[in-house]
Amino acid sequence: MQEEKDFIQELLNPKTQNQAFQKLLRDYQRPLYNQIRNIVLNHDDADDVLQNTFVKVFQYLKDFKGDSKLFSWMYRIATNEAITFINNKAKRNGTTSEALQSKIVDNLKADTYFDGNEIQLKLQKAIAILPEKQQLVFKMKYYEEIKYEDMSVVLGTSVGALKASYHHAVKKIEEFMKTN
Amino acid sequence: MIMKDFKLDNEPKITSGFTTPDGYFDTFSEKILAKLPNQEPKVVSIFSHKKTWYYVAAAIVILMFSIPLYVNYSNNNEELDTTTLENYIAYHSSVSEDEIVDLLDKEDLEKMKIEFNLQDEDVEDILSTNANLEQYITN
Repeated sequence: MQEEKDFIQELLNPKTQNQAFQKLLRDYQRPLYNQIRNIVLNHDDADDVLQNTFVKVFQYLKDFKGDSKLFSWMYRIATNEAITFINNKAKRNGTTSEALQSKIVDNLKADTYFDGNEIQLKLQKAIAILPEKQQLVFKMKYYEEIKYEDMSVVLGTSVGALKASYHHAVKKIEEFMKTN
Repeated sequence: MIMKDFKLDNEPKITSGFTTPDGYFDTFSEKILAKLPNQEPKVVSIFSHKKTWYYVAAAIVILMFSIPLYVNYSNNNEELDTTTLENYIAYHSSVSEDEIVDLLDKEDLEKMKIEFNLQDEDVEDILSTNANLEQYITN
């Protein structure tokens, strides 16, 4: 924790800021990208959202209180940015975010930056029909293997509720995989 | 493809299948660093503040010296102007009485009336002793 406090000081100090921010990018760009990509599904959109996320992180870093882990805080920003993005995109297309995500998943095969086999594609389709919250929990737990405790900070939901969400999601997914 | 007894935990880990363009993460940090509003914003702002205060201080010093100077200068100017004007009016031969009369307005005439404080008797007196009375009346 002390190490993280020192790192935040480096990020805020004009003299060390540049180097510290590069380290921040190196350490967190991949996990944050994955989180965003799992929500917006398309690479170009994920790239846009990831850039906005880091700009916001830089902008609001001075207000970061340190009462949660830096990673959780950044994860929360990335998640909110991605959800806002997909909701706005759905609104522009006159549809819901769930319907939009299903549509993107249906076209994943044609996506240059999707290299999944049949079972990977089928899992994506199974996830796409879940309610939004269950989708998010499932993707974070299954794909990204984030601990419930950390997820609880990011999503502002109790560990118990997250476990229940994940359990429901798995049941529905297994059902989908069996019948479709 | 139908999987009869599909259990997520029994399956080998299924990844998302998402990929990124080659070298995407290598160039991302450069891209984002260029996009950030201002690197080392604090250094810049402290310096520019200091400079601003220097300018403000310099401006105040200049004003402190220049205001009394200006006041003195403009006062002198005014005195000089009035004297010159008076001299001009008093000694300039080409200013005729008619021209002065033209310049007098109603207010000036009222003032003169008060200054002269003419009483009816005085007017009568002047009129009766004036040889050109007839001419004034006919005019």
